[in-house]
Amino acid sequence: MGAAGRRLLALVPTVVGVATLVFVLVHLVPGDPVDVMLGEWAAPADVQALRHDLGLDRPLLEQYLRFLARAATGDLGDSIAYRMPVRRVIAARYPATLALAGTALGLALVLAIPLGVVAALRPRSAVDRAARVLSLAGVCLPTVWLGPLLILAFAIGLGWLPVSGAGSVRHLVLPAVTLALGMIGVLVRLTRASMITALGEEYVRTARAKGAPAWRVVAVHALRNALLPVTTVVGLQAGALLAGTIVTETIFAWPGLGRLVVQAIDARDYPLVQGCVLAIAFTYVAVNALVDALHRVIDPRFRHES
Amino acid sequence: MPHAGLVVVLPSDPQSLDPRFGTDANSARLADLLHVALTRPGSDGRRVPALAARWEVPDPRTFVFHLRTDFRFPDGSPVTATDVRATYEAVLDPTIASPRRGALAVLSAIETPDDATVVLHTREPFTALLDATGLGVLPAARARDQTEVAIGAGPFRLVEAVRGERIVLRPNPGFPGGPPRIDPLVVRIVPDEVVRVLELRRGGAGLLEDAPEPEVLEWLRRDPALRVTRVPGTSFAYLALNLRDPRLAQRRVRQAIALALDRRALVRFVLGGAARPASGLLAPEHWAYAPAPIPPHDVRRARRLLDRAGFRDPDGPGPRPRFRLVYKTSTDVARRRLAEAIQAALAEVGIAVEIRSYEWGTLYADVRRGNFQLSALTWVGVGDPDLYYLTFHSTMRPPAGYNRGGYASGVMDRLTTEGRRTLDPERRRAVYARIQRRAAHDLPVVPLWWEDRIVVATRRLSGFVPAADGALDSLARASLD
Amino acid sequence: MNRDGGRSAVAAGLGFLALLALGAAVGPRAFPLDPYATALGERLRPPSAAHPLGQDALGRDVLARVVYGARISLGVGAAAVLLSLVVGVALGAVAGYAGGWADEAIGRLIDVFLAFPGLLLAIALAAALGPSLVHVVLALALLGWTGYARLARTEVGALTARDFVLAARALGAAPSRIVVRHVLPLAAPTLCVQAAFGMASAIVAEASLSFLGLGAPPPLPSWGSMIDEGRPFLLVAPHLTVFPGVALAATVLALQLLGDGLRDLFAVRD
Repeated sequence: MGAAGRRLLALVPTVVGVATLVFVLVHLVPGDPVDVMLGEWAAPADVQALRHDLGLDRPLLEQYLRFLARAATGDLGDSIAYRMPVRRVIAARYPATLALAGTALGLALVLAIPLGVVAALRPRSAVDRAARVLSLAGVCLPTVWLGPLLILAFAIGLGWLPVSGAGSVRHLVLPAVTLALGMIGVLVRLTRASMITALGEEYVRTARAKGAPAWRVVAVHALRNALLPVTTVVGLQAGALLAGTIVTETIFAWPGLGRLVVQAIDARDYPLVQGCVLAIAFTYVAVNALVDALHRVIDPRFRHES
Repeated sequence: MPHAGLVVVLPSDPQSLDPRFGTDANSARLADLLHVALTRPGSDGRRVPALAARWEVPDPRTFVFHLRTDFRFPDGSPVTATDVRATYEAVLDPTIASPRRGALAVLSAIETPDDATVVLHTREPFTALLDATGLGVLPAARARDQTEVAIGAGPFRLVEAVRGERIVLRPNPGFPGGPPRIDPLVVRIVPDEVVRVLELRRGGAGLLEDAPEPEVLEWLRRDPALRVTRVPGTSFAYLALNLRDPRLAQRRVRQAIALALDRRALVRFVLGGAARPASGLLAPEHWAYAPAPIPPHDVRRARRLLDRAGFRDPDGPGPRPRFRLVYKTSTDVARRRLAEAIQAALAEVGIAVEIRSYEWGTLYADVRRGNFQLSALTWVGVGDPDLYYLTFHSTMRPPAGYNRGGYASGVMDRLTTEGRRTLDPERRRAVYARIQRRAAHDLPVVPLWWEDRIVVATRRLSGFVPAADGALDSLARASLD
Repeated sequence: MNRDGGRSAVAAGLGFLALLALGAAVGPRAFPLDPYATALGERLRPPSAAHPLGQDALGRDVLARVVYGARISLGVGAAAVLLSLVVGVALGAVAGYAGGWADEAIGRLIDVFLAFPGLLLAIALAAALGPSLVHVVLALALLGWTGYARLARTEVGALTARDFVLAARALGAAPSRIVVRHVLPLAAPTLCVQAAFGMASAIVAEASLSFLGLGAPPPLPSWGSMIDEGRPFLLVAPHLTVFPGVALAATVLALQLLGDGLRDLFAVRD
């Protein structure tokens, strides 16, 4: 079957686990879609009727098994609020989140890694100081606070960018920057520390003492080693990034999955919440699989190990 | 944005653009723009003709509607009685699972003697049926669809709907009296309130329907390109009480709570003056309104009442309270702030209030089941005063009706039943006047205020009249300079 | 950073936190601060002599609320991390020590929780349990336990194979004793580092929960709720969000410095 196949199979229990966890959690939350739909002042007798019409009064175990069985074939059921297949609702919003998270990730990588590397190569320089400041700023400024401030500065104050919404590349700038900031903070510090460690290795110091250009070749080798923990962290941070889209999308009115999930939870739209969580979990798992593969490419030792 | 176009920002997605499914306020606003119904709500609580030019009630169980013939769907086909019948029957069909089924459950039969006449028969005499005739009419061919149908004969037609982001509307060419002059009308969903205000300031939006904080409103007023309009509203904000609780069961305690609240101060400082202290459910604009006393602010009297009710203050002005109550509210920031203000006011008379904020779904579930002690709620859009029966009659306790507080009064039972059965409008008015005075005396709920409607719009918009219930239908006759 | 740098970072971080904790504990007694006293007529007043950080939408003193907020935010962060740590380490240690199917099962559980979008977990739990500070702590604890579990699992797993453990086992020592007395102390430095970072993210997560209305119940002035309550007034009364925001940022900063410093001090590798 091969290592890749076995690895894929190992993912199945994880996905089933996520599906079960989300089913349990979302049904634990008090209230159901009918409560929300009918609001404060609906006659409770109607609530029973509507609940029955929507199939919500069937035993939970039956609902759970039905959900699992259908999910296995890719059918995520129908959204109670939108009255259309969950797949279609998600498919409409997924690309937006992917674009946002992807851009944020790209920004973070492009900015953070070179900055961290240069900071490591030139300790105590202005670049090093800038890296330290940026890393700390990224990590301790909450999005909730930063988002509206950025809008005020760049959209109202300077008038360069639109305030909110989607529709052009210009709309993507502020939300992507806001989302990326946290990740930039983490990556800059990590890259810098990791690079310093790699540069401190015996063989590097020897090569350096002997002088360029051999030193440069070795530095590149050191870089490869330095990037290993960075790639791992990127994979782990992907989860945090996806979670960050929830707040960012709400503030910037970005029509993505993050905001959809919160709305779905508010509306107790069980099939939609379940579908969204599965979609996000899938993405996370896929990203980590990619990171794993990347790891193998970068690290020759790893290759031999497996 | 093209010169004749307008962008409206809303805080959340309407539940549905299909009149059979949407029950929230935003769905109602869009339904006004996309669909036409038999009747529309008037400013005094009575229904106003829309698709139906006039109607008669030959006997208490029969309603005959005579339709206008000039309403058209976007494809040009006329709206007929067949369409009306198909829509109502679809809502009554359990397989459609419409949340509006309950409101029409009293219907026993629908007849269409000709293309312009619809006859509704009810199982029992039901004067409030007219309230349920605000249901938008769909084309008969699509009325039974399981998926969303957004085709209607309203002033606008749907061009594009990207869920959670924007809804694009264009004029319906066949609209009676001429199509609207706003083209296109774009509804954008922007969840964050600061960002909504910023959009308005930047010109990305032209109409903001739900009012920001008073200080922010002041800030917006200073912008010469914007205009702030305020109209007295009819949304009734009140403190719901659970009369099953042994302390709240006592009228003196309820009275004390009512006296402990300084409505004028609360309105002025928590709402920025955008409300009128209320005496009861019906606002002065309502046809059945009768003046009733508004509880004054009298802390000393409140304390005396609590003493007489048997709940002495154990340490006088000290920190120990007479008793504790739990106050359930939503997670909305403004609501929580109101809760905190009420908490402080009741602390002054020796009642300790614990605030628990839940998000909507949980709160609705609890309130509907009567699982609460105190909660501040708002009743939006009061139509027929028969609502008093549904909320105060002793048989209307959950799960039957809206009497969540469990209020039971023989006098109120008799009066509300009489109000339901009386057909003569003048006699009805007299009955409901007695009901209002009784409610002000018994205080099954503690009235707070009637909330005003505040709208911020670009000065280029003319002809838009904010409605007391937040409806946007006057956009059909508005235009941009 | 070398060991000296690490030492100074730890000192800076710990110093600030100690100051904060001291202020939070002693402040209310030293000064007449009442975070709950409303003054409706003085809504949104800017900083003044009587109220150095201004007043909020109900006229309450912002300084008092920020000081009390320190108690809540620090308390919630610390409690969440502690709970997370205990549960995570317990599970991870069991997995590492026992091996076999226990290891497999717990490993799967960790994978599931990792794949589940963190904030959503907290949201669902907070919504399900209802509004109370304890429930917020529980929800936040759920966010971080996987980190400690994985760490404990690896460390305990690696150390279990060592001679001294085999010897102890042969001597008949109880597994729990072996793990707690001999194995865990070796993993302690890494756990401390993670705990510092964990507390920082717990405090930030509380702010996100507050944004969605699921944070500390009113009228408790956690920094997250203060920022959320002040957000509508960002354009007209920025002091409502700036001061708790700065407090939050500074605390998170201190915790990050602490974590960084500890990491360098113990020469810990990630």
